Amino acid sequence: MSLNKFSKLFEDLDSNNSSNKKVNFLTKYFKLNNNLNNILTIYLLIGKKNKRFISGKSLREYYANIYKIPKWLIDECYSKVGDSAEVIALLLQDKILEKNIKDDISLNELINEILPKLKKLDENKKKLYIKSLWEKISKDNQLIFNKILSGTFRIGVSKGLVVKAISNMTGVDESIILHRLMGELEPIEETYMFLINQKLEQKELDYKPYPFQLANTFDERIKETISVDKYQFESKWDGIRSQIIKRSNNISIWTRGEELVNKTFPELIKIISHFKNDFVLDGEILIWDENKNRPKNFSFLQKRLGRKSPSLKIQKDLPVVFMAYDILEINGKDIRSKILSERRNILEKSFSNLISEDKSIIGKIKITKLHQISNWIDLEEVKNSARKSNTEGLVIKDKQSKYVPGRKKGNWWKYKIDPMQLDGILIYARPGSGKRADLYTDYSFGIWEDNKLVKFANAYSGLNNEEIRELDKWIRRNTLEKFGPVRSVKPELVFEISFDNIQISKRHKSGIALRFPRITKWRRDKNIMEADNLENALKMISN
Amino acid sequence: MINSKQNLVVQKNEGLYCVPANVWIDPFKPVEKAIITHAHSDHFTHGCREYTCSIETALLLRKRFGNNLNLKVIDYDKKFLINGINFSLHPSGHILGSSQIKIMAGSEIWLITGDLKRQKDKTCQSYEKLKTDFLICESTFGLPIFHWDSTEKIINDVTNWVNKSEDSTSVLFCYSLGKAQRLLSELNSKNFKNIYIHKSINKMNMIYQKLGIELTEAKIFDNELQINNFKNSLLLLPPSLNNKNFLKQFKNVKTSFASGWMSIRAFKKRSGFDKGFPISDHADWNGLIKTIKESEAKTIFLNHGDGESLSNFLREKDDLNIKHLNRVK
Repeated sequence: MSLNKFSKLFEDLDSNNSSNKKVNFLTKYFKLNNNLNNILTIYLLIGKKNKRFISGKSLREYYANIYKIPKWLIDECYSKVGDSAEVIALLLQDKILEKNIKDDISLNELINEILPKLKKLDENKKKLYIKSLWEKISKDNQLIFNKILSGTFRIGVSKGLVVKAISNMTGVDESIILHRLMGELEPIEETYMFLINQKLEQKELDYKPYPFQLANTFDERIKETISVDKYQFESKWDGIRSQIIKRSNNISIWTRGEELVNKTFPELIKIISHFKNDFVLDGEILIWDENKNRPKNFSFLQKRLGRKSPSLKIQKDLPVVFMAYDILEINGKDIRSKILSERRNILEKSFSNLISEDKSIIGKIKITKLHQISNWIDLEEVKNSARKSNTEGLVIKDKQSKYVPGRKKGNWWKYKIDPMQLDGILIYARPGSGKRADLYTDYSFGIWEDNKLVKFANAYSGLNNEEIRELDKWIRRNTLEKFGPVRSVKPELVFEISFDNIQISKRHKSGIALRFPRITKWRRDKNIMEADNLENALKMISN
Repeated sequence: MINSKQNLVVQKNEGLYCVPANVWIDPFKPVEKAIITHAHSDHFTHGCREYTCSIETALLLRKRFGNNLNLKVIDYDKKFLINGINFSLHPSGHILGSSQIKIMAGSEIWLITGDLKRQKDKTCQSYEKLKTDFLICESTFGLPIFHWDSTEKIINDVTNWVNKSEDSTSVLFCYSLGKAQRLLSELNSKNFKNIYIHKSINKMNMIYQKLGIELTEAKIFDNELQINNFKNSLLLLPPSLNNKNFLKQFKNVKTSFASGWMSIRAFKKRSGFDKGFPISDHADWNGLIKTIKESEAKTIFLNHGDGESLSNFLREKDDLNIKHLNRVK
């Protein structure tokens, strides 16, 4: 099979906004194509850590170099289009002579032969090889070819749609297909056979985490309609959501991003091997501050995530704990259909003694404490005390609920503490990518340090489409200077910037770093003299 | 900006202005005398004392904006004087009646292309190649990513798109003047169950038909018709109708837009169309470069769009004396 069929599928999916139609296209495609092709297609579509063989930026540089086009011109094109693969495909229209096309590359050949070969070549040979491929592949296939090359497949096909299509085709329940798709997905025929298998064999799922249950933003109205007794209240930990799986002697730790992180946290693996029972725990990995008996900021965890095999010193300096809050499987038995209060009982019974007695386990595996809230009025106070314990707020869970994949309304609610806020002044802007190409949507904000403005936050979200368009026009009219795609603008507009945390940072010019900054209000009522200053920001930093 | 005192044409807040003739080209505000390059509404302002334009443009302007306009009609290639300055109009290939403006003063020639296209279009005269000293050229699509496919390919794609899925209504949004007629001159009604057109398109078609320009057979779209009538049909509608409220009356509808901008996926996505057909009445990158070179102009100004990129590129590469006109605030 040549790339044509996949291109066709891409085109069909891309030119239909209806989910139903997309599922139908997928189902039809899976039925018509062979197993290997299908699993490669799934591998690409759900884009689970698609391997990037070459960065979009290098693709653009190669193009400029090969066809002697100024680099700045290609960057201008990129600002307009927002996707390097698409820029290359559009530029190539001019270069391809249709009559020379020998378009016989298959998806398999591309992914399993050409790309691995490409990876081994030195820069110069790589460039020549890519040139030969660019000129060999037909016009209709250029976009997907370059997308596969640069590992950027965002075409509005969520995992959910692929799951639906396979479920339609096989009659196997969606939740099972979803489970089979968890973890690493090796693009080989066997994987596809496993996905579409109509028999259910629990054993095959041994290494796989369960699909995670997620929380919705708390709907305050439920306070008026539902009794507080119906819920249990946990802290919302700001760590890495993970499942610890122990089945026989196999231990694995999977993050919600479906990455296997055994090697990143060897001390956890070691501790878990001390347990006799088998289980699957759901919880959060945190860096713990023994003295203050609370987690350290997320940035400490990021330091650990960057390392594949942390030294003993790092393990000591940045000690991790696993904060368990749910149990999904015990001694080989899937208990997700038990209600939360029963699961909580099992969690406490099976682990409380062990984790407080066994020396090698103490303190490393914790069970989240429940907050006792007997009426809705107390809720606010408990929530707002979260900052002291360095958590993000509360998670409110229905005691009667089963553990189900995704965000089922009403089961789990997240209730975050009110964010911290500073009023900043728009000083730089650059165009977004993807859907927001050619619109100035990525902003930098400054606050006063004496009489000067220092950049303190970058934010990409928070404005509605109308405001974005208005601001885009304003930016174009009020540009002071252009540095490549970035424009500095007249300091005139004030925005309220909200963020979850603030801390000292040596890397930033302002000396502070914000966690999850976003725009919460366009302060049209304020002039720039009323924006915040660095002193205010530093006061917010807790010790 | 063109502001030097020696310049025959300068750029002002109200648009391009020919100083010695005291005449404006496509002004944004009412002025004494205006030359109108073509009948798209963003090139026309009510309230000018006198408008000069081609015959076809005059017919279209009357139809769109009423009979009370004081129009001075000039044939293509015919010289005419305004305040002693020599002018002539020449086809620019953009839409029916669209004109380039040539100005001759002493030994100096200026050429204002207006909106232009180099592709063939059965509904209007082709772009006329002219030599000039000074060129003011449009540059809406001044980046090398813009490269138009042949009209046949687009028409083929539209035909396949409509006939691919059964039971759905296919809406193709397009400008009522120019694009709609170009499509109707290329589409073959025999390949469709029905083609329906919006009344605003039909209004313009009447002028085309009067001038003997052949358009394929189409029925007039009427909200009152049974929705079922539109099944499997192609509907040509103006982009202003691209809203949920209007579209929800069709049970199974797919939408598309015919515009050069549709070659960029992000633009298509942002506007919510299912499909985009990149067919344009402007010149693409190669078309613009060809136009500039063929003019042999020694001084070039680019107007609109991505002119900055194109002018920087040609200045670097060919050492042309070229710059982009920033719209005055």
